[in-house]
Amino acid sequence: MRDAYIIGAGQTPFGAMPDRSYRSLFSSAVAAAVDSVPDGIADDEIDEAIVGSLGVGGRQLGLSGPAATEHAGLHGIPSSRIENACAASGYAVRQAVQAVKSGMADVALGGGVEIMTDMSSDVTKYWLGVSGETEWERLTGTTFAGVYAQMASTYLDQYEATQEHLSMIAVKNHENGAKNPNAHLGFECSLEDAVGAPVVADPLNLYHCCPTSDGAAAVLVASEDVVDEYTDDPIRVAGVGAASERVGLFQRDDYAGIASSEKAGEKAYQDAGITPDDIDFAEIHDCFAIAELFAYEDLSFCERGQAHRLLEEGSTELDGERPVNASGGLKSKGHPIGATGAGQIAEAFKQLSGKAGDRQVADPKYGLTHNVGGSGGAAVVHVLEREGAE
Amino acid sequence: MSDVSIAGVGAYAPRLRIDAAEFQDAWGQFHAPGVEEKAVPEADEDAVTMAVEAAQRALAAADREGTDVAHLALATTTPPMAEEDLTARLSSMLGTPADVATRMLTGSTRAGAQALAAALDAGPWADGVALVIASDCPRGEPDSEREHAAGAGAAAFVLDGDSPGTVVHRASHVEAYPGTRFRSTGDAETTGLGVTQYDRESYTATLEKATDALDADLSVDAAAVQSPDGKLPYRATDALGVSAGAIADAETVSSLGDTGAASTFLGAAKAFADGADRLLLAAYGSGAGATVFVLDGPVPAGTALAGDTELTYAEYLRRRGEITSDEPEGGGAYVSVPSWQRTIPQRHRLVAGQCPNCGALNFPPDGACYDCTDRPDEYERAELPGTGSVEAVTSIEQGGAPPEFVEQQSKSGPFVSAVVAFDGPDGEETVSAPTQVVTGGVEEITVGTDVETTIRRIYTQEGVVRYGFKARVADARR
Repeated sequence: MRDAYIIGAGQTPFGAMPDRSYRSLFSSAVAAAVDSVPDGIADDEIDEAIVGSLGVGGRQLGLSGPAATEHAGLHGIPSSRIENACAASGYAVRQAVQAVKSGMADVALGGGVEIMTDMSSDVTKYWLGVSGETEWERLTGTTFAGVYAQMASTYLDQYEATQEHLSMIAVKNHENGAKNPNAHLGFECSLEDAVGAPVVADPLNLYHCCPTSDGAAAVLVASEDVVDEYTDDPIRVAGVGAASERVGLFQRDDYAGIASSEKAGEKAYQDAGITPDDIDFAEIHDCFAIAELFAYEDLSFCERGQAHRLLEEGSTELDGERPVNASGGLKSKGHPIGATGAGQIAEAFKQLSGKAGDRQVADPKYGLTHNVGGSGGAAVVHVLEREGAE
Repeated sequence: MSDVSIAGVGAYAPRLRIDAAEFQDAWGQFHAPGVEEKAVPEADEDAVTMAVEAAQRALAAADREGTDVAHLALATTTPPMAEEDLTARLSSMLGTPADVATRMLTGSTRAGAQALAAALDAGPWADGVALVIASDCPRGEPDSEREHAAGAGAAAFVLDGDSPGTVVHRASHVEAYPGTRFRSTGDAETTGLGVTQYDRESYTATLEKATDALDADLSVDAAAVQSPDGKLPYRATDALGVSAGAIADAETVSSLGDTGAASTFLGAAKAFADGADRLLLAAYGSGAGATVFVLDGPVPAGTALAGDTELTYAEYLRRRGEITSDEPEGGGAYVSVPSWQRTIPQRHRLVAGQCPNCGALNFPPDGACYDCTDRPDEYERAELPGTGSVEAVTSIEQGGAPPEFVEQQSKSGPFVSAVVAFDGPDGEETVSAPTQVVTGGVEEITVGTDVETTIRRIYTQEGVVRYGFKARVADARR
């Protein structure tokens, strides 16, 4: 199969924008992606589009792919929506990569959009839990805060990490997000604030939970046959891995980690022919603070039970050995469900292109993005490589 | 006088309590004489869930199981649904045979005694038993004497053909006395006109005439007398021909409040648990009617009537939904009634399945096996005993509940949601399932806490109450 490259990627700011429609947000993200292509691209050079969304609030649940691309001026091309909970647009990009690698498209667009703030908080919560196991898990009164809290209870019981380590994730990600103009919650927070926040689902407090956001993101994937027409600084999709896991927590073998992340990571490393040590920075799916700790272990940045050490050592901070969530992550940058995965790739593209401003990671060659649906029912990992880098 | 005997009695009252002093502080007065404290149902308890609690204890006291039940009767003035046969769900929760004869009696605090009389006429049942349950949690207007007295509890008799407990006499009397205690169609709260002398006359006259009709010497140890409050029964000592001491020995109203249709059954359970040999059971229902029995023991009893969690008046109003909002409008995460119905064996009795290929336990037993991913045509039925250990746990607090559970949280505060490894039938392999863990007192639920199941309300959707299992700390079974 041919190689695939990211030639452009962009996003809207993430935040509360009840004055914007999902279609106008998506159009803005496509425009930002088009603008980011170094040598430019015409709309009619985009052969296919895949749009990720959960469909929070209902709205255009059917045909939302064509409805979004129509608004963005991409008439007539194959366009579809993919739903995979919070991993929807990570999977949309993966599908764009498949389209390009298979030869069915030379340039494909993978993106996503979600509107979450134009409803009452009660109505939003009806939708937040819909990717949990509906007939049993949710009927114990949980949304994802509750499910991740249960996972955290097992992890904290099994290993040395403490609640304070969860708060350290919030502090780190807010510090990074404060440098990101697109961040929903772009402010710094103290460890004291993060420790003392009100409990949402014990042991998780408010600072251990990401916000609900509006936003859109889009990624343009091109084949090796055409990539030179668009850029002299190609960012290669070096590896892709994806996996599924049982939707309900109670049906899994282990609650102190996410098996689908582990499988997706292994596959992506193998695909790229690299090891976890080669990764220079990562955008991790930190929907809840415990999820970032899980990812350190699931993606083999450290051994099982050792994730808190990376935090203590500062190795995942912006100036650390392997920065994690330089964008601010879901915690600070925000989490518009269907846009999150593509947004992570937009950040990685920016970092690898050296255009991340105040939050630029030093000279990266390999960047990893990790996007999870629900409590791990779906996971997708991309490894991107700046071909010219050392 | 009947071929039917009494094999056991069981009783249950919610663990939540409110002291009369809380009412005194809130209202400056308390209208339920003789009630010192009373039992309060948790937000997920009702007449059906309390009935299951009492029935399971009665069956255990009689050394019987749900599969032995041939006749099932539920008596309550507070059925959770005004129309719908609740005995079908009760049968499922208790695991009775499907050909069980069922009766539901309501509309009168005498319903429990009426159900007992009807069962005596229906039996005996060969190797089977009758289970006669009275369960009640009356309500009144917040400032009324009915509400101040309104308690909660359930008690059940197991009847068979060859136990030492017997019914030696029984009699009834009816006489029209409208307007003493009533609830109009569609209302949730019981009321009365409060014509004091008239109300007392209705009560004592019907009880006296029913007792006279017994035409027997009442040398009883204890008298379980209908107790709308803690004072009225003692006005009937002459009418009943029993001493105040005999009434006091079988009263629960001072600690549980007015338990409506369950009042006399609860008194009988208490007295038999204390070793009474001969008991008068004297039930009264407004309208009015009285039904009295003389019962001879010994009758094995299993009771859980102690409280351990005190409520303030504000907490009490929250539990009763007086100051909380209903579920907010929304959408998403819809579980239809038919899809719920398909899982009733799992929700009521933890029916798991064993994979015919690899032997692994599956819960729910549906789709590919969790262990070997084989897709069996049918799982081998494996009913779990309901004991287990917490594997993962959280307490859902501010903003953490989905809207369907906001009402529960608003009434009861933070709730515990967990994944529990339930013991398999062989006691070795376990199978995990998510469940709420009901708590009270000073219990703390952590990874490793041992739990057992009970039946509670899960939630109400589209007007249909959905019942299912929840867990509670194993040694909390009172």
